[in-house]
Amino acid sequence: MIAGKTKKRIAIAAALALASALAIGQRPLFDEAPRSAAKPAVVFLYPEQVTVPAGKPTKIDLHFRVAPGLHINSHTPNERELIPATFSIPAGSGVRLEGAVYPPGTDFTLPLDPSTKLSVYSGEFILQARIVATPGDHLVEATLRYQACDSNACMPPKTITAAIDVIGK
Amino acid sequence: MKRNTLVVTAVLLILAAFAWAGWANWEYRMQAAERLRASAAQGELVLDAGDVPQYVSPLQGNPAPPFTLEDLSGKKVSLADFKGRALAINFWATWCAPCKVETPWLIDLRSRYGAQGFEVLAISADDIDRKDPRKFSDEKQEIARFVQRMQMPYPVLIDGDSISDPYGGLDALPTTFFVDRNGTVVAAQLGMTTKDELERNIKKALGIVK
Repeated sequence: MIAGKTKKRIAIAAALALASALAIGQRPLFDEAPRSAAKPAVVFLYPEQVTVPAGKPTKIDLHFRVAPGLHINSHTPNERELIPATFSIPAGSGVRLEGAVYPPGTDFTLPLDPSTKLSVYSGEFILQARIVATPGDHLVEATLRYQACDSNACMPPKTITAAIDVIGK
Repeated sequence: MKRNTLVVTAVLLILAAFAWAGWANWEYRMQAAERLRASAAQGELVLDAGDVPQYVSPLQGNPAPPFTLEDLSGKKVSLADFKGRALAINFWATWCAPCKVETPWLIDLRSRYGAQGFEVLAISADDIDRKDPRKFSDEKQEIARFVQRMQMPYPVLIDGDSISDPYGGLDALPTTFFVDRNGTVVAAQLGMTTKDELERNIKKALGIVK
């Protein structure tokens, strides 16, 4: 039989142990906030789902957004070394990419070199994909490869996924 | 007695659960702190006396991390080969438009300060696929074409990505580290700045200005 005093001690010990466990878990180990969150320069906006006639080429508009202050090369950059924005759909997804119509790029001049004119996308841009879907529901993980820069520096090329639920009817 | 045993067991179980939660949380935070420490090598922008943002690398004041890379002919080139010289270690890529703007400035400054012991080491961060010999050859040719067109007279090394970690991750190009004759990083530039700024940092590396 445990006496009332002992029970009280157990309860206090339990409360202390609980507080210690939580305190250890919450204690900050490094005071500084992360300096660079790895946010993508481009995000896919919509559509999340499209319904298309099965077996028939259909045009769909895909909306993307480039982060403020950044730009990416258009599909037709002005110089051959620059990496173009390229949309693709993986084989075997039940949806075939027949072609894509990219928007024209806008001119961008580097502040430190007015003679360099780049063809870029910034803000929101829409590319039109012509797809053919087999009958059924296909979760397509399409991709956009791009290379982003700001006025003075460039980030390595990157590929993002645009997940689209394509229903072929 | 039985009831008391049950109470004690339940309390112990609860304590064990909380202790485990605390430990798991602590473990998670340890890992997050590790990631943070690694990213802290990336440097930051701070305002100088004139309120101009300056890139401050944690490498500043420290020895430049050693490396050995290949040049376009396949010859191994080490940082140690340039001992005693002031260097601009310039990370660039063929797909980087600001790098292209900066290149003629580097060429001009090298010709001006070369006689005083200054050299540029250009390290390409273009993708390299060594597993596929044909692709590797094409990639090297692409870099070589750029080097030839820009008439880069200084050593050009490839596979910069392989040494990106000790140099802060190279999240953006161009990135340039200025190294003095003792091998210490005295300044760093993230992104394209002005030719004057490049020159100022070269002078720092040469010990002409502080």
